[in-house]
Amino acid sequence: MSYANARKEVFNLLNGVNMAVEEGKVTALIGGNGAGKTTLFNIISGFEKDFKGQVILEGNDVTKMPAHKIALKGLGRLFQGRQLMDNLTLMENMKIASDDTTGESPFEGLFCRKRVAKSEAAKEQRAIDILMKVFGEDNKYLGMLNHKASELSYGEQRLIAMARLLMGNDRLLLLDEPTSGVNPRYIDTFRTIVRDMVEKEGQTVLLIEHNMSFVRSMADHCHYLADGRIIKSGPTQFVLDDPVIRKDYLGL
Amino acid sequence: MEYLLHIGIMLCIYIILVLSTNLTVGMANLLTMCQAAFYGIGAYIGTYFLMQYNLPFIVIALMVMLATGLTSLLISFASVKLKGDYFILGTLGFQMIVYTILYNWISVTRGPYGIPGIPSIKLFGVWSLNGIYAYFFFALVLAVVVAMIFSRLQHSPYGRMLKAIRTDELSAKALGRNTIHLKTWAFFISAAFAGVAGLLYASYVSYIDPTNFTLDESIFIITALFIGGIGSRVWGPIVGAAVAVILPELLRFVGLPDAVAANLRQVIYGLVLIALMFVRPQGLLGDAKLK
Repeated sequence: MSYANARKEVFNLLNGVNMAVEEGKVTALIGGNGAGKTTLFNIISGFEKDFKGQVILEGNDVTKMPAHKIALKGLGRLFQGRQLMDNLTLMENMKIASDDTTGESPFEGLFCRKRVAKSEAAKEQRAIDILMKVFGEDNKYLGMLNHKASELSYGEQRLIAMARLLMGNDRLLLLDEPTSGVNPRYIDTFRTIVRDMVEKEGQTVLLIEHNMSFVRSMADHCHYLADGRIIKSGPTQFVLDDPVIRKDYLGL
Repeated sequence: MEYLLHIGIMLCIYIILVLSTNLTVGMANLLTMCQAAFYGIGAYIGTYFLMQYNLPFIVIALMVMLATGLTSLLISFASVKLKGDYFILGTLGFQMIVYTILYNWISVTRGPYGIPGIPSIKLFGVWSLNGIYAYFFFALVLAVVVAMIFSRLQHSPYGRMLKAIRTDELSAKALGRNTIHLKTWAFFISAAFAGVAGLLYASYVSYIDPTNFTLDESIFIITALFIGGIGSRVWGPIVGAAVAVILPELLRFVGLPDAVAANLRQVIYGLVLIALMFVRPQGLLGDAKLK
């Protein structure tokens, strides 16, 4: 696929990118700042439509679909720099990530109390199960379910934003720099969440990450994006040990 | 006593208007400057039904809600294309267009001459509401019912999604939510209830003309909402409407010199608003701030 910038200037940020993501694996997308990694994520998740090419998700062409429909097809996303909705409580933030939308139409919300109550209870239970699985049986977040998300630190919000992706039944998860700006102490928790996603939930993960030790320990495959195309693809070790990438990207 | 009851009825009408505005402005973060247009459309359509057909209130109210709700689709369409400040300008344009139509389409609306002799509401098609006491109790019951509906709606999963859109629409889309659909419903419901307020007003005062539904009126409603506070609590809009309706009345009794009383009341009212925005930008009972 190719992408020109919004003013349709001649230079192509992405120019002939062809990338496959293997099901049930963790794939990392690496590249320098401004290489177009986030733009590529925006194209895959349907937020950027001004490009030439095709996006295929599990055999379905989702190129022309609006973003929310692609999400319903099983695509989850963690945005760079965005965290939880700070005016919602921790529990509300978990619930909105569920793929069960019972009560989210005004009439159902007003008149179908029993059905809504049942679905809300199921979502609450699922949220608690996920928090216990990720942060341990007796974690502090269980006592903060009705606190506003703004009471949590940036790193904690990032962790919960990751954990809540487990609420949906997504097939492919796009994680944009999950560990950036996060205390190193939390990195292991991120590893646990990503492992859970792949090994227990059978999800596929594509991540953008500048933390190379995280990439080495988590990613099965790696794509290196530079000059608008995928320069190198393969097993993580193979890509990261490439002399050109070591010199141009890692500065070694 | 009749003076107090009149203020009570007007307060109930404004409570419905401010509650309906809170759904779009407070919950969905769409600053609309055209609530008085929906209020006016509801009043005129309601007047038509009251004068032409002998129907129970609930039937007329439902028809007014449907008709006013449908006109809101024009604004919903604008909200898809226009973002932020441009959207506010779009709603201003809608307000002006509606006012101009009401004022100039004389063969239908009688324009500046207004429509006199609007009949009273008939509760079940037979019992006509007679006298200010009957109107007061009816308006009170209606305001309470509307407040209960909005309270339930705002605390339902639908209200939660509107709050989510308010904070971060992009993330809400990425979670698979059709945010356009959710916002369109917010407009529809908001306009529909503003229409009900218009119907109540028209039948209560029995005379309407376009000057009741100007941009000033829209600004007054928004101001009342900001005084009370935007967000998911219904008490914010209720208190906001109470302050906005009652404060100017109280200022009548301050004993200002007659020559400057009217202007001075406006100045004092303005100063109270500015002071409030400094001290409590989220309003008296709001749980969210304007972005």
